[in-house]
Amino acid sequence: MRTTNRLLTALVAVAAMTLAACSSGGSGAGAGNTSADASGTGAGSTSPAASGGTGSPTTETGTPVSGGDLVIARAADALAMNNTNTFDNNSIFVFEQIMEPLFTVTDDGKGTKPWLATGYQTSDDGLTYTVTLRQGVKFSNGDPMTSADVKFSIDAATATGDDGWGYINAAIDTVTAPDPDTVVFKLKYQWAPFIADLALFSNAIVPKDYDGQSADEFYQHPVGTGPFVWDKWEKGKALTLKKNPNYWQQGKPYLDSVTWNVVPDGNARKLQLQGGQASIDEYPDWSTMDDLKATSGITATTFPSTQLTLLTMNQQKKPFQDVHVRRAIAAAIDRQAIVKAVLFGNGSAANSLLMPGVPYYDKNTKGIQFDESLAKAEMAKSSVPNGFSTSVLVRSGDSTQASVAQILQGELEPLGIKLEIKQLDPTAVKTARNAGDFDMLFGGWTMDIPDPDEWTSFAVDPKGGAHADYTWGNDPEIVKINKEAQQTTDTAKRQELYSKLQSLAAEDSAEAYLYYSPYAYAWENKVHGFFVTPLGNYHLEDVWLSK
Amino acid sequence: MERFRFIPRRLLQAIPVVFGVTVIVFFLIHLLPGDPAQAAMGEHATAAGVAELHEKWGLDKPIWTQYLMFLDRLIHADLGDSLFYRLPVTSLVVDRIPVTLFLVAYSVVLAVAISVPLAALAAVRPGALRDHVVRAVPLVGLGMPQFWVGIMLILLLAVRVKLFPVGNYGNGALEHLWYLFLPSLTLAIAMAPIIIRSLRASMISVLSADFVATARSKGLPRRSVLLRHVLRNSAIPTVTVIGVNLGYLVGGTLVVEKVFGLPGLGGLMVNSIFNRDFPVVQGASLVLALFVVLIGLVTDIIYTILDPRVRFR
Repeated sequence: MRTTNRLLTALVAVAAMTLAACSSGGSGAGAGNTSADASGTGAGSTSPAASGGTGSPTTETGTPVSGGDLVIARAADALAMNNTNTFDNNSIFVFEQIMEPLFTVTDDGKGTKPWLATGYQTSDDGLTYTVTLRQGVKFSNGDPMTSADVKFSIDAATATGDDGWGYINAAIDTVTAPDPDTVVFKLKYQWAPFIADLALFSNAIVPKDYDGQSADEFYQHPVGTGPFVWDKWEKGKALTLKKNPNYWQQGKPYLDSVTWNVVPDGNARKLQLQGGQASIDEYPDWSTMDDLKATSGITATTFPSTQLTLLTMNQQKKPFQDVHVRRAIAAAIDRQAIVKAVLFGNGSAANSLLMPGVPYYDKNTKGIQFDESLAKAEMAKSSVPNGFSTSVLVRSGDSTQASVAQILQGELEPLGIKLEIKQLDPTAVKTARNAGDFDMLFGGWTMDIPDPDEWTSFAVDPKGGAHADYTWGNDPEIVKINKEAQQTTDTAKRQELYSKLQSLAAEDSAEAYLYYSPYAYAWENKVHGFFVTPLGNYHLEDVWLSK
Repeated sequence: MERFRFIPRRLLQAIPVVFGVTVIVFFLIHLLPGDPAQAAMGEHATAAGVAELHEKWGLDKPIWTQYLMFLDRLIHADLGDSLFYRLPVTSLVVDRIPVTLFLVAYSVVLAVAISVPLAALAAVRPGALRDHVVRAVPLVGLGMPQFWVGIMLILLLAVRVKLFPVGNYGNGALEHLWYLFLPSLTLAIAMAPIIIRSLRASMISVLSADFVATARSKGLPRRSVLLRHVLRNSAIPTVTVIGVNLGYLVGGTLVVEKVFGLPGLGGLMVNSIFNRDFPVVQGASLVLALFVVLIGLVTDIIYTILDPRVRFR
């Protein structure tokens, strides 16, 4: 019982955090999501790709050379450097270069690999993890990293609870440091995503007691083991990090410094890249991708991500309790048309609740795809065979949502469904969503850890804190499978459970899955070794500039 | 310094204007639907934060008390905190004033540098082909939207031929001159046609004035007549034209700073609108409006320097 209660607490925390992280029904939820709200969401920004993703490391010719200053043009500034309670991508991408976790995400985004640790052992009951630390790792201030620093960092992250990423650590009972190179984690219950959780940036290692400062002081210019160290930040303009001479990976980083310049206008970013003022455009607008691809000396590409955009139907409102209505709507949507209109062809139609970059994603999930005859058949079987009037909320100023809503309006008309598009201020959309005062709205998600549970619990469990992603749906069978998958450590068994969950959730159509969008990036060809994982992280210690 | 006596009076006259500006800025937030504190705190508002702002703004008090409280905060240079940057708005705004000031001044200098020779060229032979060309061609600049002109200049002079940087501000005065050349030229192109037309017209009328004939007849070189006598006397109406158009120029910085990614007031305001960072929008509007008021005053001062006969009451 106790376990269950704690588990529930964790789930509630997941939900609470997601409220914070995913903010509204915006299309741009993010690996630390809120950034999307600020930077004008959607198409231009964080976007993941699915099959369309061609993400490959930048042209690998020649041996890396040291030196050079990398300039990245980005849509919006970072917000804060505290890795334990910051949810926004623009901040995360920066502090990940300063502070590193014990494990990190593999390039395919589906697993973890040792980073500041060299490995771990699990006890037979799965409740104790003994982690061995890497030898010779130093903080940028020259102090060696020890197990005491790890204990301090993980405990500090856990302590943020609902106000930060602490919920991620809800399974941790105690952290002990029996000797300088060993850390022992005791869990409250078996928890499959544990190592994935340790790989999250919120569990990055900082010096014990913040090197004698208060947390606030420390995070003004944080210190870590990462390839780069703090230099300066002119808020709203530019943030610069410089090379960490004490970095534990011999010979890295290659760059002398990295500067993120804030250039909110997509066209201005494109021009700065073409003019050689920036070497990387962090968020090329989809509308500028073709132009960038055609520019000689510039590579514009997409990396597979974990971003899903979906249509949420509120089952508290008539007639969405009727599964046939939901299925009819899901079948009426021409996802390819949306991908073409909104992502300029970059991205792909969504078939599942999970995204292609997420472990246990099942590409064989049939889902409900565009099928006019199925849509008509489902409507005929429904409680409202002659159609009905309903509405969809759109965040004002979000052109992506507005376009999708218009396409939707046209596609539902033949079914006799009259769709009213209600444009509301983003704050008002959020309020309406939380209160359940809407018919339909657009939602989205990107993953932060290489484990599906972060999202599935939020999306299908009515006790996940957000009424099953604001659908107010409750399918006991799906909820049961999700709980089983959480506490199963056997990979094959988990795959079986998550495949079943994806299939059942698609049939239930509590939400219509719309599209997967990739991360778009563009860079000058003199940039080498730049790569983005499906969770959005990039490792700048591998990046070098050819002369 | 007798003739500068008008300045204190002008300052007094500016008070109602400034007052009006503060009223508009104050009421901006009340135009938003719902609770102003909720609107100002944005999407991530916490109940405690909203309650605190309620207290600070006195939202339970009558509207005029709220306005007085707003003025009180203004006098103490307290424009609130940016929701996005988590910094005091005052420091954000003050930090960006130099960029916009530099941009506006540079634009005027460029506009004048373009206009004076062209206007003189046209005015000396009114009706000649060159007069028609000078009158017609710059008008194209007036008709083109600034964002487009800016992008074209970037494509031409920064991307195709890498003569100038695409954006940013640079470090130090010399770099500023280089970095801000294209944005200033963009603004100057829009302003020059107006100056040219006004200057040309007044030069033509001054050229036919008696004192010019006198100057010529006493054998002064043509060049000296044109510069010392004609230009100076034609400048007065032109200064008014520039003064009036500076207001539009300040508006133009919003577009140009965005296109060139400049860290100025206009860019800050546009970004803050997109970020829904209400306190910053309020602060930037206030400062930009005061900017325009100040420009009016400076125009008057330049007037009296150019023409000692001008007396303001």
